[in-house]
Order: sequence, then C-alpha cells, then structure tokens
Amino acid sequence: MTRETVLARIKAAQAAVADSGGGGSQGGQAPATAELPVLPVPQSFADPAALFIERARQLGVGVEIAVSIDDAAGRVPAWCRHKSVHRVAVWDTPDLAPIVASLRTEGIQILRPEAPLGELATADLGITGAAWGVAETATLVLPSSLAQPRLTSLLPPIHLAVLSADRILPDLPALFRSPGRLPSALTLITGPSRSADVGLTPVLGAHGPMEVMVFLVRNVAAEAASPLA
Amino acid sequence: MTDHPGSLATAEASGAGATPRIDMIGNSERALRDQDLQDALGRAMPSFRRQRAAAVTELPEWEALRTTAAAIKDHTLANLEAYLGLLEARVREAGGVVHWAADAAEARRIITDLARARGLRRTVKSKSMTTEEIHLNPALEAAGVKVVETDLGEYVVQLAGDTPSHIIAPIIHKSAASVAELFTRKLGVPLYERPEDITRAARQALRAEFLAADLGVTGVNFAIAETGTIVVVENEGNARLTTTRPRVHIAIMGIEKVIPRLADLGVFLRLLARSSTGQRASVYVSLLTGPRRAGEVDGAEEFHLVILDNGRSRLLADPRMREALRCIRCGACLNVCPVYERAGGHAYESVYSGPIGAVITPALEGLERGHELPFASTLCGACAEVCPVRIDLPRMLLELRGRAVRAGLVGRVDRLFARAWTFVMWDPTRLRIVAAVARALQRLIVRDGRIPWLPYPLSGWTAHRAAPPLSGRPFRDRRGR
Repeated sequence: MTRETVLARIKAAQAAVADSGGGGSQGGQAPATAELPVLPVPQSFADPAALFIERARQLGVGVEIAVSIDDAAGRVPAWCRHKSVHRVAVWDTPDLAPIVASLRTEGIQILRPEAPLGELATADLGITGAAWGVAETATLVLPSSLAQPRLTSLLPPIHLAVLSADRILPDLPALFRSPGRLPSALTLITGPSRSADVGLTPVLGAHGPMEVMVFLVRNVAAEAASPLA
Repeated sequence: MTDHPGSLATAEASGAGATPRIDMIGNSERALRDQDLQDALGRAMPSFRRQRAAAVTELPEWEALRTTAAAIKDHTLANLEAYLGLLEARVREAGGVVHWAADAAEARRIITDLARARGLRRTVKSKSMTTEEIHLNPALEAAGVKVVETDLGEYVVQLAGDTPSHIIAPIIHKSAASVAELFTRKLGVPLYERPEDITRAARQALRAEFLAADLGVTGVNFAIAETGTIVVVENEGNARLTTTRPRVHIAIMGIEKVIPRLADLGVFLRLLARSSTGQRASVYVSLLTGPRRAGEVDGAEEFHLVILDNGRSRLLADPRMREALRCIRCGACLNVCPVYERAGGHAYESVYSGPIGAVITPALEGLERGHELPFASTLCGACAEVCPVRIDLPRMLLELRGRAVRAGLVGRVDRLFARAWTFVMWDPTRLRIVAAVARALQRLIVRDGRIPWLPYPLSGWTAHRAAPPLSGRPFRDRRGR
C-alpha cells in the first residue's frame, strides 16, 4: 500500500517538474542511463605501489615490504613477538597458509573463522588478505566470503593485511569501474579506526583496530616480467 | 500562498501546527551569551575549514567532480521512481526485504514491528540523521527494546539526554572535560582528562553492547540501484560492528539516497570524505549487498531496507527547491557559515542545521514552523561555494524568504519597513533626500563616532553592537575623483 503511495507521489512530482520545464521525466521503468554524465577516467600513476606506501605511512599505517609470501611468513612471527601477540584470528585462504604455518611453529594460537565469538573477541591480532589496494587513498579492499569473515579485520586491536603489489589500483574510480557480482560485504579500510568526537582530538582505535599493518608482497622480478608493469 | 504545486507551507507537513515555531532569533541570542559554546565553535570551525581546504586543493579536478556529482544527482532525481524500483528489485534478489514509509510515524512502526515480531531486545545504532529525523529511539524504547547509540559522539548525546548539534561532529558543543564528568557519573569510570582515555572507556562499554545486541540499525550514505547495495561511511568502526554482529540489520534511507551505478560511488566517496573531514578517504566504507550468504560466519542474517519519504517528495515536486535533494550530508556548508559558527546547531531546533537545514527543515516540518530559518543567513554565498553537489543554497534561502512573506508569516512591521526601503531605493532623488534627513538626525544619537542605540524598528541593528554612522559624504558624490 505505502509502496504505491510513495511511488505515486514521486511519479506525480516528476511529472510536475517536467511540465514546468525543469527536466523531470515521466517516470517509467527504464531510466535513460545514457543521459548520465561521463565519469572521470581513473588516474594513472607511474608507481602506484610507491604512492600506496607513502600515503599509508601518512595515515600511521606501517608498511613492510616482502619479496614473496614465504618471505612475509618468515618475518611475521618476529613482528608478533615484538607486539606481544599470542592469539591470532586469521582468514582461511590458501595464500595466507604459509603465514599460519610459521605462526603455529612459533606456538602462537590460531583462531579459524568458525571460532566462537567469545574467543575471537580475545584475539590480539587479525590477519587478512586484501583483494585490492587503492594507491591514491592507501585503502585496503576486503571482500567477505566463507573463508573471509568481516570481524577478523575489526575486533582485534591490531589488523595485519597481506597485499600483493600487483593488486594496487590507482584510485577508487578504478575499483568501481565494473560492478561484477559484489560479495555480501565489500569493506574499504583506510587507516586505523579513529574518532575526534571528544574535544576534537583525533584518537585511534575508537571501535576497530588502533593499529593497521600492511605486508606488501612485491615480487620485483615478477613485476618486471609482467606485461602490465 | 504560492502558486507552486508542492507548497512548502502545506499543513500536511508532519509536525506543522503541533509543534511551535522555531525561535531561531531567541535561540541565537542565548547561544551568543554561552561562552563555552562560543569557545568550542570558535576552535572547531576554522580547523574544519582548514582541513577541507587542504584536501580539496590537492585535487585539480575538484570542480569537475562537483559538476559530475550534481549531474548524477539531477538525473537520478528526474528518474527517481525508476531507480528506486530497480534498487528494490536488486535488494530483493540479494535476499533483503524492502519497506516503504510515507512518513516518520510509519517508519517507526515498521522498525518497532520488526523488532517485536522477532523478539529482539537489544539494539545497537550507528550514527544516522534519518533515525534522528523520525525520532526512532523513544519509539523503540516504548516497545521494550533497549537502544544504544554507538558513535562516540552520539553515545555521549544519549547519555547526556542531549541532541546532536552538527551533522558529522554531534558533540561539537561539549568540552572534553564535560564528557569526562558525564562518563564518571554514568559509567562509574575514573575522571579522565585525556581524550584517549575517555574514548577507551566508551570503547570498552560499547564493546559489551555490540556482543550482546540482536538488532543493528544504521542509516545509508548511498544506495546503488544497479547492484542493490547500501553504502555506509564512517571513521570509528561502530557501523561495521552494527551491521556485522547482530542477527538483524535494519537500514533506513531517504528516497534521495539512491545513485544509479557502482561507478558513480567513486565520484561521491571522493567528494564526501574531503568535504566533511578533509580526509582522502573515510576510514571505513561498507558496501553491503543483502544479508550474509550461506556458510558465512558473520554479517546480519536478515537485512531490511526502509525507504522513507517524510516530506521529500514535496521537495521533489518543487522545481525551485528540488536540488536540495542532492545533499549528501557532508556538513561543509555548516562549517563555512558565519551564522552557524555563532548560533551553533541547536539554535535551528532541527536535526538538520546550518544553511542546508534552513532549506530542508521548512520542507520537512512546514514553513509555518521553520520560517525564521531562511532569514538566519547573511547570504554571503560561502555555502554554495563549498557544496560538493553544487546546491545553490543562497538562491533557495531567498526563495523561502519570499514564500514566508507571501504566506503572511513575516511581521507587519518588517513588511512595512521592506516596502518603505524599496520605495526609497527605487529612485536616486528619494534616496538622496532620505539620506540627507538621516545624516541630520543622526547627530542626536552618535556617541564617539558610533551609534550605540537606534529607535524601533531599527533597534535590532544595535541590540548587540554599535552601528557605524552614515558617512558625511556619500560614496555617490565621490565618483570621478
């Protein structure tokens, strides 16, 4: 009932403006998308990965550069010890398997996606991948899936993301260029959680992680060989 | 009163008649005497302006982006019925449920009924102007559902029994010390001094609420028609928790929040973050398409989208006011407004304050109630210059002033004075004579080169400061020298 009421009001409003020469349409089911303006083309940066690193650091995001996922896997445990991390929530994706294996050998407890919420809430660190990075804004893009829960990058006080350098796009328009099939949640993360509500003072870690760390896997040899580089 | 099809003064406006006229003038006078408020606004506003300016000058294509965004919004508004229909179909395909609400009462009923039917008891909410607009919290509480605001500023507002005073900085009117005192009283925590410790105390208190909640309520920044996706933008992470943890997620949006394509989001996100907080990107942008899918371990199991009219279709039907529906609620027009900077958000007695509030409050609540608001502007034009979607706010403020006069809402003395002013200004000879008389008379009241007091009906000019006297030699006579 209300649906029809609201839509009828909108239809009448569109007709009223169209009559007065205000560029309204008569409604109907197929909007003329051809009338939409041409969108800006994505920017082009000589070295998107370098820009990502620079802008991430401006946000207080730590960036470690690894030459391979095995290189990253070898260095994550030491970093965890340095941060006094004992319990880690982690995505169940194949590309993170080497890191999980090396954390296990160090005796660090691993919480899989299906771990109960009560345990997840006590994790010291959440480790995720990232489907893309966005250079202009130093944004990490995380799709949800069975193996990729949303809370892994949200509940623990520290978030560590593993990002492949060849997945770095220049800007947000490049990310949104084609819709494809979206996951139930596509989360864009730009720096640590923050709030400036109290006394207009920026404070990190309002509700989400107070620290974000990126292991950027940059296989220089492979990049040089890639026709896209 | 006017010849417009969707007159803003129609009595069907929710609340018109029932609630008294907004006393913008009286409220502003009280705000000017509140030194704490003046200090807080005087610190915050210049800092917001600097942050925005730095972020905007970094993008050479800024002006082109604004033009593109305005064109996308205009196209969408001209085809709103079709885009809302597409959005509804896509949300359903993704497994969500769409509800339509003609007014605030209906939106409240939809949400409380959903909660009651499912036995939901504990709600976490992320910041949403639309839920403020429909006064959702008291309705949920009355239905026996506990509601906790989780944006830090809104949480403080709720604990204090206050209302937000800025679109993006709800407690801009409160000092850190007063928040610390509030937390000690309400949460039993020690009296902290540092904003870090105060924020940490709220994080801990609210984490428990998130883990226990069964209903999450959010607003919507953008709704993408072609994909059925809602987009929620924030910095704290509370909206992510609100949409991820509770079993049921209800999002509420005004009809104007829809955008056609995913690609359009790239334009709006860049404009919103830089305009509101001067960030290149907001910390968290959640693109949510339906509820969690089979096998996923988190995310809401049920997703409901409430699409609200509540006076917006009247704006849509009004050719001279329609572009107000382009607004993306960034707050930039508040931050540059000399009236907002002195009067503060509460003076507008509306969820929407500042220049955009002065335009849309009369639309949502009736011109009878809000007719003083469009007069609370110097028409300096700063708001139109910063608006990321190029809303011509000064033009609309003038339009509403005209309507208020034609509707007989402006006092007889003001109207007589305006008529006399027009008569004098119409003809150089009349102006010359009146100015000569005024120059002669002002000798009686000038003290130390200023006019400390003027008689009624001019007394308003000297209520708060001394006015400068008329120059002995008019500018007109100095031409050519």
